Amino acid sequence: MAGSEVATEPRTPSGTGPGGRRPRTKGVSEKGLGRLFVAPAILLMIGVALFPVIYAFVVSLRAYTGRLYEGYAGLENYREALTDDKFWASLEFTFVFTVTSVTAEFVIGLGFALLMNQAFRGRGITRAAILVPWVIPTVIAAQMWYFMFNVTPGSVNALLGLGDFNWLGEAGWVKAVVIFADVWKTAPFVALLLLAGLQTIPTDIYESARVDGANAWQRFWHITLPLLRPAILVALLFRTVEALRVYDLPQVMTRGSFDTESLSMVVQQYVVQTPDPGLGSALSTLTFVIILGVGVIFVSFLGRELTIGRTDG
Amino acid sequence: MRRTMLLGKWAIAAAAGSLVVAAACTPSSDDDEGGGDSGGELTWAIGGAEAQPGGVDQRIADLWNEQNPDNPITIEVLPDEADQQREQQVNVLQSGSDEFDVLGMDVIWTGEYSQNGWLESLDDVRDQIEPEVLEGAFNSAQWGGELWAAPFNTNAGFLYYRTDLVDQPPETWEELCQIAEQVGQQEDIGGLIGQGFKYEGFVVNWLELYWSAGGELYNEDQSEVLFDTDLATQTTEFMQTAMDDGCLAPGYNTATEEEGRAAFQSGKAVFMRNWPYAYQLIQDEGVPQVANNFDIAPLPTFTGEGTISALGGFNNAVSAYSSNTDAAKEFVVWAATDPEVQKMLATAASVPPVLTSVYDELQNEPDMALLSEVLPDAKPRPPAPTWNTISVEMQDALFPAYNGDADPAEASDTVADAFNESVEE
Amino acid sequence: MSAATAGTEQTGRRRSRGAVESATRGRAWAKTALLAVIFLWCLFPFFWLIMTSLKIEDSALNSPDLFQGPFGFKNYGNVFEQDFQLNLRNSLAIAGITTILCVVIGSLAGYAIARLPLRGKILLLTGILAVSLFPPVALVPPLYELWLKLGLLNTYEGLYIPYTSFTLPLTIFILTTFFAAIPKELEEAAKVDGATPFKAFFRVILPLAAPGVFAAAIIIFVSAWNEFLLANTFAPRDPEVAQTVPVAISQFTGAVDFQRPIGNITAACVVVTIPMIIVALAFQKRIIAGLTAGSLKG
Repeated sequence: MAGSEVATEPRTPSGTGPGGRRPRTKGVSEKGLGRLFVAPAILLMIGVALFPVIYAFVVSLRAYTGRLYEGYAGLENYREALTDDKFWASLEFTFVFTVTSVTAEFVIGLGFALLMNQAFRGRGITRAAILVPWVIPTVIAAQMWYFMFNVTPGSVNALLGLGDFNWLGEAGWVKAVVIFADVWKTAPFVALLLLAGLQTIPTDIYESARVDGANAWQRFWHITLPLLRPAILVALLFRTVEALRVYDLPQVMTRGSFDTESLSMVVQQYVVQTPDPGLGSALSTLTFVIILGVGVIFVSFLGRELTIGRTDG
Repeated sequence: MRRTMLLGKWAIAAAAGSLVVAAACTPSSDDDEGGGDSGGELTWAIGGAEAQPGGVDQRIADLWNEQNPDNPITIEVLPDEADQQREQQVNVLQSGSDEFDVLGMDVIWTGEYSQNGWLESLDDVRDQIEPEVLEGAFNSAQWGGELWAAPFNTNAGFLYYRTDLVDQPPETWEELCQIAEQVGQQEDIGGLIGQGFKYEGFVVNWLELYWSAGGELYNEDQSEVLFDTDLATQTTEFMQTAMDDGCLAPGYNTATEEEGRAAFQSGKAVFMRNWPYAYQLIQDEGVPQVANNFDIAPLPTFTGEGTISALGGFNNAVSAYSSNTDAAKEFVVWAATDPEVQKMLATAASVPPVLTSVYDELQNEPDMALLSEVLPDAKPRPPAPTWNTISVEMQDALFPAYNGDADPAEASDTVADAFNESVEE
Repeated sequence: MSAATAGTEQTGRRRSRGAVESATRGRAWAKTALLAVIFLWCLFPFFWLIMTSLKIEDSALNSPDLFQGPFGFKNYGNVFEQDFQLNLRNSLAIAGITTILCVVIGSLAGYAIARLPLRGKILLLTGILAVSLFPPVALVPPLYELWLKLGLLNTYEGLYIPYTSFTLPLTIFILTTFFAAIPKELEEAAKVDGATPFKAFFRVILPLAAPGVFAAAIIIFVSAWNEFLLANTFAPRDPEVAQTVPVAISQFTGAVDFQRPIGNITAACVVVTIPMIIVALAFQKRIIAGLTAGSLKG
């Protein structure tokens, strides 16, 4: 069965691939070419992102009263952040939110992708319909759901015949509603990535499997999923880091009531609303480290897939 | 092969498109390069509905320009929400830019802005303003004994009630709850709708209850904290009971001003606590049953005497970085004390003015009459530099408490700590 | 014996054909039901948006009934009175430029990471990922100051440069994945045929990675279009210059203070979503039709 396999030939330093002699490149070695190709991206990202990140880190080591600079603070801001109940509560909610919504988005997104990949009448409209939730700007979608789930005027309640049910005002349900809104909005993103990934699986593999007597489920489990692994990992990676940074949905729908305050909301509060640049920056750095940690786990899985690639026939 | 040719065409089309767009990059605006008002021009940074073209702020600006052709003022329209306005003003002020000369500030920002050195002191024009305007509004423009802004408009809370369901507006909160629960059950609608969502509006509602129980926050010059934890606990417990017993309408804890108005004007609540803006809107947009059968009254208290409401509104301040300080100062004083301007606020926009003489003139308007009754006793939230911090602490502590998720007494202690900290600095 | 068996075989076949037919019908019915559910799930809120945008006066507030109350196009008129078409133009330009830049720069980087020898690829990928992870709200104050000094506030460049920068990580990850999925043999074959690496890249690799490229393009476009924080800070006002759609919508006011113009907001949302759907429709064809299995077969 085809799957991601390590290249059968060892790589030589000059990058000779399997097979024939390398054709001459005009002047630049492949290694140089590689560096040349990644240079614009690196330069642009460093140019824009590096300075603010360093600045934020420096600020996190300073003490402030409101916005007024008071002197060097060392790691005091970090200590304050790590002993703040708000921080830990938001961490808990953010993790719960992330795990639940990413799982749901993955399952639904995969279903959408498989469906969008089929040929049937009205598939164009179906694909467009599936993408609609995702193209609506998040700030608007958040307001829309706040309005719809609110008791007044009670759109959702009227639809489901639930009278006065207070979706946004009851402890457990608030979380469910926020997760629902996020899943609704971003499952299409996962679907899109997985759909593109499905295109890279050659149909003749399915043919030969069918000839060999594999049923639909076996084909899915043993061919589709493994070959889709890279796309799945990319989708999961970016959905996870996005979910860890969720801000608009809980901010607009619940203002963080009933333990639905996310990490980003806490950061936002200390940077904008009740400004303490030192504490805000410390919280940002902590958030960054946490999310990066999660991301690194994914990258280590993904990295081998991407850089080693696959061969199949 | 065809595939690659098609792709080649796409690439070319994309490149061409980007060239065209890049050429048309960032359309230049007709006016000068933002910031830096040479000559006597003034920029008024204010947001909200009235700042839009056609709004009353624009008419006021036009009036000023007629009378002061040497110092024309233009409005820089800020977003609708106060938080967003503050963000945008802060961005400009923090960078020391002279882009804004006059700042339209919410009454609770005075301390914060002055602490950061963003405002020009108005102590030299104090005497021109103080005798003419409402005391509460004037106090909201002061911090640390100094005057930092000129009041512009104000706001106070009303009790809206259904005249077909309630004979006499209640004088105490207990009475209100009694009626609310009774009538609510009869008519199968909610009792009292207010602003109970976890935001500044909730702090306003809570304070109105707390103050009406006799509670205080600071002393005269904000040097001492007078926060009473027992009264605070009682207040929170009252809200908790009101919620459980059905006095508070369903959805109270997720409602802001607009949800409250929607509930009341569609007939789903007996009482509403809201700002005066809703008065005209309910008449115009409410369902006929409500539009023809409602009235306004002062908010009840726990003691049954008098009335207390929270003070809202906006002040005009002069930016410390302005290059036209004198003209700007003239403008803010003029906007606060000119009878024509203040009357325009009331008549053209139903915005409560700060000039006391206007209220005498407009006694036959029900909302103006009620305002003149209520405003003398209206209490401002202290415009302390740390007010946002205190407010957030109050929201964090008191919201779960009144929803039954936390202990009211502990919540009161947390809030007291927040107030005490604010004085220590 | 054989006749009897043949008979039962025939009946068996007839029976199984009948069973297959009803099974097919059942499956078709289930598929239709599934499609209906999906349409409802995805489109009902959009339908709600449309209905609410058509409700004039306060009928949206006064009743949750979708079909209640006076209807009209007044909200759409209000939206365009506020120069919304300029916001659309700004968003289109900025998102478009971001997409082009990201795809070009990202393809190069993605190809390099997937195919060319580079040291420390996993470290590189981690670093690239890290760029997009720092909470943007904390990056905004220093960026604002820098942009102020460089005169990049209220400009297209001031937005599409950071957008490109922050969307490159996702782009690179997607494109790297798709480049890596292309069997090496095809590339080698092209090289053996005498093509230069650049030619091989443009004529063989890029078309094969087309599904990923178009998927990435849609994602970049939509992300840039919907971005709020940076747009709100760097180009908060002035639709004539660079104010984008989400920022404009967030600043809609009602007729009086406190009033939230739900009609205008939903109308603007509908106006914004329809072209996005058209773009998505156009691009999704490219994702699917991009490749048939034929070109991957050796």
